[in-house]
Amino acid sequence: MTLSPAELARYHRHIALPEVGRAGQERLQRARVVVIGAGGLGSPAALYLAAAGVGTLGLVDCDRVELSNLQRQVLFDSAAVGRPKTEAARERLLALNPDITVAAHTLTLLAANVLEVLRDYDLVLDGTDRLTTRYVINDACVLLGKPLVSAAIHRFEGHALTYLPGQGPCYRCLFPAAEEGVVASCAEAGVLGVLPGVLGAIQATEAVKIITGIGVPLVGRLLTYDALELRFVELPVTRRADCAVCGEHPTITAPRDAGEVYDSAALARVRRLTAAALRGLLASERQRAGLVLVDVREPNEFATHHLQGARNIPLADLERRLAELAAAGSTPVFLCRSGRRSLAACALALRGGIEAPAHLEGGLLAWAADVDPLFEVAAG
Amino acid sequence: MSCTVRIPSPLRSYTAGAATVPAEGATLDEVLASLEQRFAGIRFRMVDEQSRIRRHIRMYVNTDEVTALSQPVRSRDVVHVICALSGG
Repeated sequence: MTLSPAELARYHRHIALPEVGRAGQERLQRARVVVIGAGGLGSPAALYLAAAGVGTLGLVDCDRVELSNLQRQVLFDSAAVGRPKTEAARERLLALNPDITVAAHTLTLLAANVLEVLRDYDLVLDGTDRLTTRYVINDACVLLGKPLVSAAIHRFEGHALTYLPGQGPCYRCLFPAAEEGVVASCAEAGVLGVLPGVLGAIQATEAVKIITGIGVPLVGRLLTYDALELRFVELPVTRRADCAVCGEHPTITAPRDAGEVYDSAALARVRRLTAAALRGLLASERQRAGLVLVDVREPNEFATHHLQGARNIPLADLERRLAELAAAGSTPVFLCRSGRRSLAACALALRGGIEAPAHLEGGLLAWAADVDPLFEVAAG
Repeated sequence: MSCTVRIPSPLRSYTAGAATVPAEGATLDEVLASLEQRFAGIRFRMVDEQSRIRRHIRMYVNTDEVTALSQPVRSRDVVHVICALSGG
């Protein structure tokens, strides 16, 4: 595979760098990179990698473009709203660089399909918005021996770390485990639109360096970025000998989904209330007496507005305070903004021996939409 | 002795949005107790009932990773609290 005259012109500024040169550009042309999550991070990363001439780009995402994505997801324009992200992104990337191949993987990445999706790529960029998926990706990369460039964002803060097989710590060495819902998502907490631009560009930089074999990768160093203070901090991360996937005696030998919290058999015991059903229960004095409303949002969200009589136990505190609920003998109805944290609360309650927890499906957003339009749901 | 603690974004709801807060203590355990006095509930977000650092949290004194809460903290040290982020 060689570069055509048009490609030599297109990549002239790369080729002019002695560190990259024609050989480096040809490496980029032969490279196969998969970007997981066509969101805030995946948008700039994919655009820069396409512009850089990465020969094959894979995009993994199962969502459609929403209007609220456009504040930061620069792959998409207003006309793309409603379209599958992978499809709209593929068109945009090919318009930018028709010499590359873009593969769309319109799916949810799970333990069952992750090895198959990642197997054909040389390098993986993690820009997903779910903590549990981060572990699925990390474990698959360790098992397959693939380099992984991870980044994550929250409000005004971002992190980046690169994993190179056999050369340093993996994401699980950094954070051995995390339960979904313990850390609020961007939808709940908000995010500065330009923040993922910085982190996604760092991921693309790492990818280009690794492919061309130049520079010093972000291995064994966690890079943190605080946009409000415009401060980068670098902290050392060492490989854990007891890491469950890359350690001396790994216990994870195949990808697995986060069954610990979202155990489907257990969740079948959760009573899922629509907003209208909850209103009905609250209206009946007899039924109301058997319920305790537990709002698992953060204190600042609770302070904005909450249902009358609700108690605030942030999700992260719930495990410690389950005994209070069990002692009360009432059925807890867990509430949050969207229904995600309240479902995680139900899972914790079930593990803690509370037999029949309930939660408000769709969260207080559904309550505001279906029952009380004056209810103000805090952004988080 | 006074040090500075850098608070991760997901826990700033406890510190009224402050990214850095001063704290007192000769060990990390004492520093966290000092934080807890001012920002009730914040310690439990970092450390569990057995006083183990939570698995989605890392702490550093300057650039030294903390493995035990008995780690000494000196005046003018910076304690970094790092929390796993989920957004993409």
